[in-house]
Amino acid sequence: MAAFSAASEAVQASLSFAAVIRDVQPKIVKIYGAGGFRGLEPYQSGFLISPEGHVLTVWSYVLDTDYITATLDDGRKFEAKLLGADPRLEMALLKIDAANLPYFELAEEVSADAGARVLAFSNLFGVATGDEPASVQHGIVAVKTRLEARRGVFETPYRGPVYILDAMTNNPGAAGGALTDARGRLLGMLGKELRNSLNGAWLNYAIPAAELAPTAAEIRSGKFVARSAADDRAKPEHALSAALLGLVLVPDVLDRTPPYVDRVRPGSPAAAAGLRPDDLVLFVNNQLVQSRQSLEDEIERIDQADKVRLTVIRDQKLIEVELGAPRNP
Amino acid sequence: MSEFNLMMAIAILLGAAVSTRADDDADLAEREEQAMRAAVERVAPSVVAVETVGGRARGDQSLDLAGPATGLIVSADGYIVSSSFNFSQQPVSIIVRLPGGARAPAELVATDSSRMVVLLKISVEESLPTPEAVPEAEMQVGQWGIAVGRTFDSAQPNVSVGIVSALDRVWGKALQTDAKISPNNYGGPLVDIRGRVLGVLAPLSTTKGADATSVEWYDSGIGFAVPLVQINQNFERLKSGEDLQPGLIGVSLAGRDMYADPAVIAACRPNSPAYKAGIKAGDKIVEVAGREVVRQVQLMYELNRRYAGDSVKVAVLRGEQRIERELQLVDHLDPYQRPFFGILPRRDPVEQADGVVVRYVYPDSPAAKAEVREGDKIVSVAGKPIKDRYELVEAAAAIELNQSVAMEILRGEERIQFDAVWTAEPETIPAEAPAAVAPLEPFADERPATGSFEVKVPEFKNGALAYVPADYDPRLKYAVLTWFASEGDFKDDELLARWKDRCDSQGLILLAPKAAEQGRWQRGDLDFAVKALDQLRAVYQTDSLRIVAGGHEIGGALAYAMAFANREQIRGVAAIDAPLAEPPPDNDPVYRLDFYLTRAAKSKVAASIEAALKALRERKYAVFVRDQGEQGRDLNDEDLAELLRWVDTLDKL
Repeated sequence: MAAFSAASEAVQASLSFAAVIRDVQPKIVKIYGAGGFRGLEPYQSGFLISPEGHVLTVWSYVLDTDYITATLDDGRKFEAKLLGADPRLEMALLKIDAANLPYFELAEEVSADAGARVLAFSNLFGVATGDEPASVQHGIVAVKTRLEARRGVFETPYRGPVYILDAMTNNPGAAGGALTDARGRLLGMLGKELRNSLNGAWLNYAIPAAELAPTAAEIRSGKFVARSAADDRAKPEHALSAALLGLVLVPDVLDRTPPYVDRVRPGSPAAAAGLRPDDLVLFVNNQLVQSRQSLEDEIERIDQADKVRLTVIRDQKLIEVELGAPRNP
Repeated sequence: MSEFNLMMAIAILLGAAVSTRADDDADLAEREEQAMRAAVERVAPSVVAVETVGGRARGDQSLDLAGPATGLIVSADGYIVSSSFNFSQQPVSIIVRLPGGARAPAELVATDSSRMVVLLKISVEESLPTPEAVPEAEMQVGQWGIAVGRTFDSAQPNVSVGIVSALDRVWGKALQTDAKISPNNYGGPLVDIRGRVLGVLAPLSTTKGADATSVEWYDSGIGFAVPLVQINQNFERLKSGEDLQPGLIGVSLAGRDMYADPAVIAACRPNSPAYKAGIKAGDKIVEVAGREVVRQVQLMYELNRRYAGDSVKVAVLRGEQRIERELQLVDHLDPYQRPFFGILPRRDPVEQADGVVVRYVYPDSPAAKAEVREGDKIVSVAGKPIKDRYELVEAAAAIELNQSVAMEILRGEERIQFDAVWTAEPETIPAEAPAAVAPLEPFADERPATGSFEVKVPEFKNGALAYVPADYDPRLKYAVLTWFASEGDFKDDELLARWKDRCDSQGLILLAPKAAEQGRWQRGDLDFAVKALDQLRAVYQTDSLRIVAGGHEIGGALAYAMAFANREQIRGVAAIDAPLAEPPPDNDPVYRLDFYLTRAAKSKVAASIEAALKALRERKYAVFVRDQGEQGRDLNDEDLAELLRWVDTLDKL
């Protein structure tokens, strides 16, 4: 399965979905571990990434036990060892003691863009047991985007690119399953249940294989150093603030008080940049700020040494200014 | 389906001789995928991201509405259509991000509250790409429907693929699709396989009215899109800044079943378009806009998709005479206030009825002024003969406030004719009234169960306690009170201790549902209560003029909700120290609804009660208010007696 010759690719392309699915299903693993109370299901999905039993899956409470079991497509049941996990990517690597297994080539460079047909393989709702094959869902890539595109929208430490799926993969037990293209080539790993906190809608997504491959390789070679979940909400030690810029905003009285400028301190960077009372600040470094509170949060993520670009609306016109903290604050 | 699929079918036939079936499947899949991508690419330049700043927070909604929205460019000079779902919070600023990345502030030009879409305008120097609309005649169930949003990434659209599941849904205002429609693409287009726009995605609902938060079906396999051709038809009106509202003609229809009953007018609202055109109660609408109307639903289909300001031709039958009128629909009607004659009717068994015997005359009422006495028998109103209470109530629905009505009564053998001006109701409850029913011969035949028992409904976890008076007599009609206890739970024996004797003496059937989740009312419990009430009413003789929903605290909020969602059967709401969660519907001549409220100065929900009172009075409902003093509380014995007297007066006229 490693490198395709042109000829084998053509053969592969001519396979129907049925053949593709038959080819992929033996690579899917049913994983059982902790849970089974308070609505936490004690199972999830995973897939093989080596012939000797490396299983890629999501890092979750299910793995938080000494007894993780992995059931293969042929019904064989193994005790799985947790080799390592990267909470930042929400991924974990397990190892079972077996050989000559069918597997996905994780390093393979495959990607898909919006509109591409995809197949999602997982044990959603734990419906498959023993030697029953995993469930397959068909859909398309709704869009390929980055979760960090809108900060604070999704409650996950992962901030990288994702495939948003037009398929209902957001179900218990589906996380850790494999997303493939129409030819059965690995595209990514199905993510956990996640809700869009801006509009409340549930999200169906997968993390691209290319994001997971380096860490998986590090864990396999024993070189992986665990990092804590990256917190991009951390603030710099010397943070910028609206006050430092000379901006006085309207009092924060509502849940979502709009970030209107109330006053501009004379001689301040804001005054020098030409900002005026009644300007409404819309963007901080291209990040939409929908309230006074989110404006302050956004500015406080910027170091005092750095410039900030503000976009304000005045008389239905957008005005962009760049400013920074005074030299000697 | 489409030309494209026909082409694929031909391609497969031609290729069959030389290729395997697997080849064809893969080929078809690939070409279908290519066609879909091409469709998205074709419309994508017209699909914009819309972001909003500020505006009311709506913490009570399960779906917060602050997220980015999608819009569809509809004219080269900068007009953009989006879903009004995204603007119900009245944001202070709207920013449109064009596919190229340029941002522009947008103005909200107008809102179409019937189809839940808004028109936005941005200033542009270059002309913008506009999409092609699919003509309505070309739309077909089963064709591809590709939903396009721009909410994840302003640089590229997000796509969901489905088919057109139905046309002419939601009173002909929308087509239905099984693509995944959610806040992720509301406001965006649903396109066909060629990238032409079928409609604009909007959270419409068939069960609720035009309501900005009808998102209960998001991602459920049911989504709606308002045909772009319909939006285009009204583009000039929206562009001029005119908000479009659902159009009303101002009639109430007689009967219960819109799918079976003819469109006979029960009441015509004063000053409404129908009223001004001379249409009267009793007329039967037989044609609208050139289409025959046999059942009420056909009339609603024609009217509900029209806007205020639209004109429509209506033909009615008055006896044998056919009358045609052109009506201009309006966006709102004068609130209806029920006129009052001033009597309580006796409730003797219907079989013996040849008129309505006066049980009680309200002091200072029109009836008192006309010197009507207890024992008089009302035999005709406004020229209509009256056999029983139900006919009298039906006739009253057509009477206008402060207008003279011809009436006829029998006093012994004497027939008395007079004119009476029915006036506004007093907000009082008579302290005492003579018995509603003359004593009957004891009932000897078999009766259904009496006393207390549990009511269960298949598929519901809930149970309800019911109590039927010990001397239940199927020749009479009984009032029913559905009572929602404060926390959704109660001890059966305590509840019975309070209500049993009162039910016996007042001839009241009590139904007290319990919450499915112990101690916590949820919306789903209402469905149970309605089904339990249906079951009870199927077995016992009940008085359709005195079916009441009541409750204490949150239970009272449920009582309001039950009444508002079941206008055809609930005639009274008793809200004891209870908040009102939703604006009340308009008062209606046919679906009578009276209110009994308690208020207290330091109640936790005092503000909500005052708001409820204001809203109900604005809508001209008959409201009785009991002041409980400082602290809000459940009914004491005295209040309870008063509440039951109020239930006893719900058939007043």
